Amino acid sequence: MPTINLRNVQKNYGGNSANAVSDLDLEIGDGEFMCLLGPSGCGKTTTLRMIAGLENLSDGEIRVGDRVVDSVINGVFVPPEKREMGLVFQSYALWPHLTIERNTDFGLRLRKVPKAEREERVSKVMKALDIEKYRDRFPSQLSGGQQQRVALARMLAVNPGVLLLDEPLSNLDARLRLEMRAELKRIHAEFKTTIVFVTHDQWEAMTLATTIGVMSEGTLQQMGTPDEIYERPANRFVAEFVGNPPINILTMEGKGRSALADRMGQFLAERFPALGVPGSVGIRPEAMRWTTELSEVPATAFSAPLDVTGILPTGGNWILELRSAGDKVFLTTDELPEIGVGAKVNIWVKPKALHVFDTSGKRLDGADALLRTCKA
Amino acid sequence: MSVSDSTNVGQLAGDEARGDLPAPTATQRMRYSFKISLREPTTLVGILTALLFTYLILVPIISMLMDAGRVQFGDERRIGMDMGQLTLYYLNRTFLSPISSDLFWQPLFNTLSVSAGAITVSVFIGSILAWLVSRTNLLGRRWFATALIVPYMLPAWTFALAWTTLFKNRTVGGQPGWLEGMGFTPPDWLAYGQVPITIILALHYTPFIILLFGSALRRFDSQLEDSARILGAKPRQVAWQIILPLMRPALISAIVLIFAKCLGEFGVAYVLGLPVKFDVLATSLYRNIASRQTGVAAVVAGSIMLIGMISLLIDAYLVKEARRFVTIGSKGSMNRLTDLGKYKLLASGFAGLIFLLSVGMPILTLALSTLMKVPGQFNFSNFTLDYWIGTNLDTVALRTGILLTPDLWNAAWNTLWIVGLASLTSGVLGLLVGYVVVRTPVRPLSIFLRQITFLPYLVPGIAFAAAYLSLFAVQRGPIPALYGTVFILILALIADQMPYASRAGISAMMQLGKEPEEAAQIAGAGWLRRMMTVVIPIQKGSLVTGVLLPFISGIKGLSLFVILAVPSTDVLTTYSLRLVDYHYTQAANAVVLIVAGLAYFGTLAAQKLTKTNLAEGLGG
Repeated sequence: MPTINLRNVQKNYGGNSANAVSDLDLEIGDGEFMCLLGPSGCGKTTTLRMIAGLENLSDGEIRVGDRVVDSVINGVFVPPEKREMGLVFQSYALWPHLTIERNTDFGLRLRKVPKAEREERVSKVMKALDIEKYRDRFPSQLSGGQQQRVALARMLAVNPGVLLLDEPLSNLDARLRLEMRAELKRIHAEFKTTIVFVTHDQWEAMTLATTIGVMSEGTLQQMGTPDEIYERPANRFVAEFVGNPPINILTMEGKGRSALADRMGQFLAERFPALGVPGSVGIRPEAMRWTTELSEVPATAFSAPLDVTGILPTGGNWILELRSAGDKVFLTTDELPEIGVGAKVNIWVKPKALHVFDTSGKRLDGADALLRTCKA
Repeated sequence: MSVSDSTNVGQLAGDEARGDLPAPTATQRMRYSFKISLREPTTLVGILTALLFTYLILVPIISMLMDAGRVQFGDERRIGMDMGQLTLYYLNRTFLSPISSDLFWQPLFNTLSVSAGAITVSVFIGSILAWLVSRTNLLGRRWFATALIVPYMLPAWTFALAWTTLFKNRTVGGQPGWLEGMGFTPPDWLAYGQVPITIILALHYTPFIILLFGSALRRFDSQLEDSARILGAKPRQVAWQIILPLMRPALISAIVLIFAKCLGEFGVAYVLGLPVKFDVLATSLYRNIASRQTGVAAVVAGSIMLIGMISLLIDAYLVKEARRFVTIGSKGSMNRLTDLGKYKLLASGFAGLIFLLSVGMPILTLALSTLMKVPGQFNFSNFTLDYWIGTNLDTVALRTGILLTPDLWNAAWNTLWIVGLASLTSGVLGLLVGYVVVRTPVRPLSIFLRQITFLPYLVPGIAFAAAYLSLFAVQRGPIPALYGTVFILILALIADQMPYASRAGISAMMQLGKEPEEAAQIAGAGWLRRMMTVVIPIQKGSLVTGVLLPFISGIKGLSLFVILAVPSTDVLTTYSLRLVDYHYTQAANAVVLIVAGLAYFGTLAAQKLTKTNLAEGLGG
């Protein structure tokens, strides 16, 4: 299976519009389950469509293995029908006038696969996706989840080296989505295809992907494993986009910083003078602890007194909303908080769980190593 | 919480350093985009259709407009210049000369006053009926919803013939009308001219109001009404401050559409206006063409075109302005019916009366007239089937019943294959245009195609026919003179139907979206394969609609044919008009009945077959 290589890829829809994708470099390795994650309008679907050949480039080059499939400089454009990829659309785009079987064997017929083999392959993929019983029905007679499976089966039948998925789960209800996620993971293992998956749902990206590329406003913000993305966000955008409830950000720069940020500034200046003054500090809600006893706070930890202004149970977990003058932070805990709204508590967090960003929002180089020197 | 030890592979937004590829030069960029646009036949097909329509639509119109400014054949002596030289003679003659009043200003005034009258009456009756049919518990509401639309399915001059059958007096020769036959002479103002033309056009176009206004009323979200009511508005206030302002775009559209149709309306004015020399622009144009006043005809046709364009542009502007305020009915949109209470019977009576006047009476009159020897005499011995199936009648010509005349069957056959072929062609071309407009990466091509195929919509049929006459009456280059052949009819019909066909094609392609086709592309299907296995099969239904609706309107169409057809290429409509001219009243009425029947049952069949609603095919 080939790797997919994007170099300096740029897409502009003309006029004075901003680039939909600018100067994108991306490498998708063989057998990877790569997820492009970002808010709507960030260019992830455009990227996917450029890989498929459904959009042409404004600049740059795309290679699949050794083959250049798209290049502005060299005037190369391999049309989508010759790229031998699979693409599952958000709307599924099943052909309404063909039965499920004809939808599924469409690609095989085009490739003039002999009848016996065709039937065998169609049966296999239909069985794998559990849609055999709908063989003779038309798409309009199936539910969303079933149509979803047919859309997948249709692409898998030709056994493409690369399978592109454009938010394929967004039209399903929560339970089906969970099932289909497991299904996709199984398919990835069974068919050993390289999968590129576009989604705005971080949960989906986290659970499915081997690699996540986070995009915003047409540029790639960070690429890494789900853990890397979550534990070491490369900048504030990634830190704030991934995680629910979102990361708490304390803005350190500027004059009018809040009391909590001020306290954090003093803490860092005292314990880690080498850091200087960072632009901002992020604390994940689950990295924060709370206590009513000041004595329970570890000596090395950052701590601050706050008022509880809201308690939101989420089933097994609780989100606490905490405030002091000018500050509001969220904290999650898996222990039943036996306090009420209005209680005064102390929150604390270990230094190594802090995310430090410079004034441009970029993760501060060397900060992680420095913060870890502090033994908890 | 543990922090993983992996290194950060991330890359940041706004990285100033460009990757390792050099930036492409302008030439390289051009080559790439050229390659993209020619990758598929879409653009090529687009260019070919654009050329075709330039020739079929734009060139005739330009040719006709040029006729207005050049000395025409036969006028050299009168003008004192050579043929083809530039001259203001025709403009002068039409707009300023002593006979300009007869040629242009009086017909213009008549056209405007007839349209104004027809619009006033049809808006008044139509909006009441629209409201009754779509928002009240009118008795037989569903039946009326269809029945009241029937006048639109019938050719307008069906009613004109019915009117003359009833009211014709001794001013003109031939068989008298029923009233005259019963001993009562209707005055001229009732028998001919402005009054009957206005009434007939009003009744004919009332369905437009019912359809367009009614569908807007139906889509209207009751919640908007409810909100006003909860805030304390009385029904009258709700009607004037909420409903009517929001209905304005639909109403304006319907009015302008009616005006544009009245502008090109020929048959009614021809049948009812001629005896008292009541000319409208369309009949004035026809007369000028008939008397070979090509130059003046071009000026008149150009004026009709201009008025049509201006009114539709005004409409487009007003509707655009008004649409800003319109909120599309949400999911919660509901359709609550007003209880008419004690007025229920009265309202049903009103709807029934309109139906009787606009459908029942005219059809019954025509049908009876074809069975009666002497008009207006209702004793049994006066009834006969001779005019349908008789032989050896004691008339000068047409000595057999109409059904036994070869002329009728010729005309019927002509109608069928000329209109059929034209509709089929324009339906297919419409789908192709739709495909190119929606898919081509070359935007100017898409815009050009969309606009040029829409152009005939702005040009009333009779003016368009004049344009065709101007271009194709003589040999031009490799194209022989087409006048007198069926080709000119077919070409003109195709061009005339393109606005509807291309609109149907574009909206069908828009609705389809590109994903089903892209899915086939990903699966490995090339352009032709995608067209054959995905696009056309999915669009089968809209293709059928795109062929059938123009076919039906072509069958009952008159204004295009009346100028371009000659006796050997007669279609049913022109044949019946010829019979009217020769005063074969019964035969003419019989042919009109056949046309009306074809149009009516054709529309019903089309609706059944395609499960579409006529309102959508209206192109309002």
